[in-house]
Amino acid sequence: MIRIVGRNIIRFLVLLLIQVLVLDNILINAYLNPYFYVLFIVLMPFETPRWLLLVTAFMLGISVDLFTNTLGMHAFATVFMAFLRPWILSIFAPRDGYEPDTFPRVFYYGFNWFLRYSLVMVFLHHIALFYIEVFHFQDFLSTFLRVILSTLLTTSTIILSQYFIYRK
Amino acid sequence: MKTLLKLLNKYSYVLVFLVLETIAIVLLSNHNYYQHSRILNTNREITGYIYDRIDGTREYLSLKMTNEILVSENSNLRNKLADISLNKTELSIAEVQRLSYYTPARIVHSTVHKQLNYLTINKGRKQGVMRDMAVISEEGIVGIVLESSPNFATILPIINRDFRLSTKIKKNNFTGILHWDGNSPQQAVLNEIPYHADVQIGDTVITSGFSAIFPEGLHVGTISDYSLKEGNFYSIHIQLGTNFNNLFYVNVIKNYLQEEQRILEEKIKQ
Repeated sequence: MIRIVGRNIIRFLVLLLIQVLVLDNILINAYLNPYFYVLFIVLMPFETPRWLLLVTAFMLGISVDLFTNTLGMHAFATVFMAFLRPWILSIFAPRDGYEPDTFPRVFYYGFNWFLRYSLVMVFLHHIALFYIEVFHFQDFLSTFLRVILSTLLTTSTIILSQYFIYRK
Repeated sequence: MKTLLKLLNKYSYVLVFLVLETIAIVLLSNHNYYQHSRILNTNREITGYIYDRIDGTREYLSLKMTNEILVSENSNLRNKLADISLNKTELSIAEVQRLSYYTPARIVHSTVHKQLNYLTINKGRKQGVMRDMAVISEEGIVGIVLESSPNFATILPIINRDFRLSTKIKKNNFTGILHWDGNSPQQAVLNEIPYHADVQIGDTVITSGFSAIFPEGLHVGTISDYSLKEGNFYSIHIQLGTNFNNLFYVNVIKNYLQEEQRILEEKIKQ
């Protein structure tokens, strides 16, 4: 238990630093922004109390905001995603439910399951984030394209991380 | 009472969600550049320090290019100096009161490909950088100082959706509002130029000096494309002079007459 908490705290810090020090400085295109830090919410243990999920999501979002000068924006999107997570997990649940002592990772539930699950989670986060960022529906299509392309990029980085960092 | 508690327990999750989202929205709507925030100032010192450390590496990689820019800036200044000594008599008025003061600064952090981009520079209140000062680069204007803490300052660049600036076309003095449409960091949009104005691709756009922040006549960019909108106005695309992808050094301008102009304008409003 303590080990899991400790590991999550470290993951929180590492993902935050990767996001603000590395990824926010990689300039690809106005349509491609990777937001790798959402991996933290994706990987939270199944048994996490739902309120704790929301509070940590808020803390993660606000930390990213402090670095990017967009107070409240990432917090909103991350809390939104965390709120819908239990529901999404129940939709994608395997027939026998989730087994105890397992985590939402490729290693335990396979590539297909993880791809679908992380794709939906990242999409929810990005759609909230990008529409809050422009704050109107005038350029609906160009913003939507931005959501789609960034979702694909973020999801690919998340999937890759499963093979490079979290092999077990 | 018991049912109420039960209900609360059942929906506490939704309640926490709503409370957190409300906090986020409140933060989002309050955090604009008219509000000073102590927390943000402390935070700028910390994040500024971290970015300053990290930026050292980035700087090394671009030393060669920075050198070239400095050399060309040097020669430009020498040329201007030569001009001044030639026309010394014409400058007597400017010598009575110095209009502006330039503070060089290095960019320690910047974003380019977001909708709300910001820059952080390594000069702050201690070096005399205050909010509402103009920021320029060798190639053109960069933005406006939003907030400054003792050693760092945040800049609202042209490439932020909140940015607005009064500019004019150099050759015929038609003024319009410059803003950014969120697409390319090299392009901005100039509106409110009436359609009877003579507009050509390649025309130079400069600051109008109406806003008291930017002195008149600073280079903004050149017209790259224009179309006639519905109504009687052009929608003009401007190729910005400043290349935000490759910006390392800027100058902050303190306009000594800004305060005077602001006070005068406020008197009229009352």
